[in-house]
Parts: sequence; structure tokens; C-alpha cells
Amino acid sequence: MAAWVKGGAASLDAAVEAAADLLAKARVPVLAGLNADVGAVRAAYRLAETLGASLDPVSGRSLYAELGALSAGGAMTTTRAETTARADVVLVLGNRPWDGDLVGEIAAAPLSRGGAAGAERVLLSLGGPQNGAIRHVAYAAEAGGLPVALGHLRAFAKGHLAGEAAFADLAKRLFAAQYGVVIYDAEEVGELGVEMLQGLIRDLNESTRFFTLPLADPFQGRATVQLSAWTTGQAPRVGFGRHQPEHDPWRFDSARQIAAGEADAALWLAALPAPRPDWLGRLPTVAVVGEGSTEAAGETAEVVITVGVPGESVGGALWNQRRGVIAYVDAKVPTEAARAVDVLARIRDRLIEKGVSC
Amino acid sequence: MSTLRLRGDLPERVDLLNITPLALSGLSEAEAGKLAIGTSRRGLTLGEVFAISLDGSDSLVIEGGSSRLDRVGAALSQGTIRVEGDVGQRLGEGMAAGTLTVTGSAGPYAATGATGGTITIGGDAGDHAGGAVYAAKAGLDGATLVIEGRAGDHLGDRMRRGMILAGSAGAYAGSRMIAGTIVVSGALGDHPGYGMRRGTLIAASHGALLPTFVETGTPDLVYVRLLAQTLKRLGAAQAGLLGGTLRRYSGDLATLGKGELFVAA
Repeated sequence: MAAWVKGGAASLDAAVEAAADLLAKARVPVLAGLNADVGAVRAAYRLAETLGASLDPVSGRSLYAELGALSAGGAMTTTRAETTARADVVLVLGNRPWDGDLVGEIAAAPLSRGGAAGAERVLLSLGGPQNGAIRHVAYAAEAGGLPVALGHLRAFAKGHLAGEAAFADLAKRLFAAQYGVVIYDAEEVGELGVEMLQGLIRDLNESTRFFTLPLADPFQGRATVQLSAWTTGQAPRVGFGRHQPEHDPWRFDSARQIAAGEADAALWLAALPAPRPDWLGRLPTVAVVGEGSTEAAGETAEVVITVGVPGESVGGALWNQRRGVIAYVDAKVPTEAARAVDVLARIRDRLIEKGVSC
Repeated sequence: MSTLRLRGDLPERVDLLNITPLALSGLSEAEAGKLAIGTSRRGLTLGEVFAISLDGSDSLVIEGGSSRLDRVGAALSQGTIRVEGDVGQRLGEGMAAGTLTVTGSAGPYAATGATGGTITIGGDAGDHAGGAVYAAKAGLDGATLVIEGRAGDHLGDRMRRGMILAGSAGAYAGSRMIAGTIVVSGALGDHPGYGMRRGTLIAASHGALLPTFVETGTPDLVYVRLLAQTLKRLGAAQAGLLGGTLRRYSGDLATLGKGELFVAA
């Protein structure tokens, strides 16, 4: 464990005291990042409730691209395991799904379940990187990007457009599926594109079975959505300024709040690596960051406290993308590092001792 | 005429939901001054933010504006509110009737869910003017929204009924529109009408057009002439646009396809 206050090395007790002082003085504090294990994120929500702060996960943009469409029209989704074993037609949207091992794994696996078991899988891409290493049929996205291409494809799928266009051919291939899956990244496709995609999926389900497999963001956003739902009844961007959780994705967008000068203090929680926000160092901030990270330094913020990295130096419940659940992960190399959940709880206790309560 | 005179810069966003002439009519100035309108842990009262002068009338003037004044005129059901300055998000949210006028500019989601009355913005409007907020079924829902300046992106997103007039608009105007009419005297940004089911978009010009809009000629429609008469009665600059020949596009064919985009030919 290491801690710094105003650039100087400090004990954990002193850093917790300084953190409580900094947050107690704020009028509109924000708790941002939230890239940590479930226990620590839960402690952040409790701290926010005590402090009257708002919360915004680093994955907010990705989460709300998905949630915006989900809240308006629902979604038909499936799992990675079902896709691998059963999907005879797989459409990969955009570039990001190609980054990990998912597409390669699906391409290599035999179809083992359902009516298409034993058949050859049809792998398609739309607006992808033209990956030559994995055999697939590639369709280019047009100018305007994936949302426009998805709308164009859906018009052919509905029969509102016809002709010899590439998307007419792609629509035929989708309708030929027995169990089709579209893999996409919500942030890359955007809220409008996700809603259009879910409409296309509904249209395809008029005559066959078709689902989506949205990729989870890499910053524990899916776990935060669940935690926020069971803790506040709302999606993650909530504020406790008026003694009850208020959900407002625009008002509690931390980047906007800070750029507009509304937030006057922040707590940045990144026990797991997260993209460094540009306001770190400009706004009075308590940074609770993973040991060994580039942010684990005195100059990062006014108060910096290093904590164990979940799944590396401490255990913790994390989002498991492969299984699509929250699951406990043991430490690979346990250390005596402080746990983020304990640090946040101590800051909250100190605030309560000081009489700070929303 | 009652007045609320802004005392100075706002240290936090304030929420003026239910600060309407009707709500204030039964209160003394001292009672009104105690109404909580702050949104932070410290909070603010109406009296801390504004110098209050009430006369029980159905007309309220807010002297001085700020982009941190949220939900001005929200749920207004009668009377008039005039803001001499800017306002924040959700101007006139859920408004049912009455007149709401802002001389400056408005933040995002102006007139969201407004079912009646007239909302006029003298300056510009932020993104999603007349658009739906998170998880809402509809944006503008029967009211009339007049934006004399420029509207941001997603003008009239998921709008269900009513009319929006604007000087110009950003990208994705009329996105996911369910029904209603948007008339823009200037230019629309890229991809107007994305996912629109029904409804009418009229503009002088537009940016990139979606491939799911198809041209259907330059019809001379009685509807357009009737709309022009309505706009003239409103004194709207947009009426002039309807006097010339309009090229019609039908879309969005990705969805129901019963929407239409008219552009000056």
C-alpha cells in the first residue's frame, strides 16, 4: 500500500483523513471510473449516498448506447456458448469484435447443437477490418458508418428495397439461418444503430431464429449496471444530491459535469486499469488506483491511495465476459495491498464521524 | 405579473419543476422563498436564487437566465412563463398547456414529452430538442416548439405529435420519429429521418441523405398549402419555404417507411 497527499508520501490513515476532508468540502462531488470489483463499486455507491454525490462509470458511453435502445424497445440476446455451439449464421458488425479471441473461436468450433449441428457455419462481416486470417464473407459499410448500413440492410430485409445490391444478398443469407447471431460492440454501433439492429433482429424472427451477442465493455460496466440496479433501482449514472437516487444520464455524465464547472471535487476509482480522464490533476481529486498502475504516483491527484488489483493481487467479484455473469476471481499473486472496498468504507466512516451526511 | 429576478451566478444546477404561475399563486413570497430548487447536497431555495415578487396572476417572468436552470416551465398547465435569458435542460418537459418563452438559448431535451401549449426559444436549442429522454416512449407529444435559431442534433427524436419549427438543425433530425411535423427554414444536418416511422420533415436543404429515403417527385399537395396557412398565422419564417416547389422523399424504408422529407427543389 502506498498513499500520497499533495504529492508527499503519507500513511493510509492520513490519506483517508485528507480524502474525507477534500470530499466533505465539495458542493457537487462526483465518483467516477468505478472500474473495480463489485465490493468496491458497492462501497462507492454507499459513499455517494452518504456524501450526496453522483456516480458515472468509465464505461458510461458504451453502457448507455446499449441501455438507451434496451429501455426503449428491448433486446433479443444470446450467450457466447450458444453462439459457438448452435449459430449456423454469424454476422460480425464493425471492427471491435475482431479484437479479442471470440470470432476466431467461433470460426474454429464445430456446430454441435440444434438443427444445424454438423453443418458448416456461415461467417459474415459488415464494416469489419477485412481480417484475412479467418474465412468469412465480408460486406463493406457505406459512408455514414454502421448505423446507416444497418438501416440499409434492414430495408432490404423488410422487402422495402430490392435489387442486386450487396445488402440484398446479405439479407438473403441472414434469412437462410436456422439460428443466427449478430455480434457487435454497442459503443461502436451507437444507440441509434443498436435500436436499428434490434429492429432487424425482430424482422428476422418473423421467419427464423435470430439473436444478438453484444460485447461487454472492458471496464466492469456490466457488473456496475447490475449493482446499480439492485442498489438504486436505476442505471449507473445516478446522483444522491437530493437524498434519493436520481437517474439522469445527461446531468450525471461526469465529463460534462467537470467540463461545465459544475463538479468541484471527484473520486476516481480505478483499481483495475482504466483510461486516464483528462481532468485528473485539474480538479481536486481523490484517486483510488491499482498498485503498479501508471496513476499510482503522488502527482496524479491531490490524494492518491493505491489498492490491490482485483484478480491479480487481491480477490474480488468481477464481470466474466465469457460466461456473462459476475464471478469471484482469486488473486494470482496475493499481496498485503489495501482493498478498495475497505479504503472507500473508511473514507465513508470518516465522513460520517465528521457529521457529513446527505 | 409575478417576477423572479436571478440574484447572480448559480453554484449548482437548479430544478424549477412546479415553479409555475399556478403553483405560486397560492403562496406568499415568504412561503415561495422556502421552496427547495437546488440539486446538490447543499441545496438551494427559490428565495436564495431569486428575488421574488408575486401578484397571484397567471403570468410569470424570470429575469436573468442561466444554462443551469433546468426544467423551466415543466408540467406547465396554464398561464405564461417568460425567461429573459438562457435555460438548461428539459425546458417545458411534460408541459400540457400555456405559453413558455425563452429569449436566450436552451439546453438539451427542450419540450420533451410536452403535450400542449407553445414553447418559443429565441436563441438556439441544444441536442434532442423535442426529443425523448432516456427510456421515454416519446419526445414532443402534441405541443408546438418554435426555435428561432439553430437546433442541435437529434431534433424531434422519437417525436409523436405536434409541430417543431426551427431555423436550422444538426444531424439526425427527426430520428425515430413516430409522427408530427418539423419545418426548418434553413439546412438540416446529415442523415435526417433516421428510423422515422411516420411524420413530416420539411427543410430548405439537407446534409447526407440516407440510402433508405427514395425520391417520389415534386407533388403539389393540398396538405402543404394548409400547413403554410397555419404557419402564416403563427407568423413563422418557415411559411415562405412552403410557397415554392418541394421535392418529396419517402422513408425511412428501414422501418415503416411512412415518413416524408420535403426539400426545396
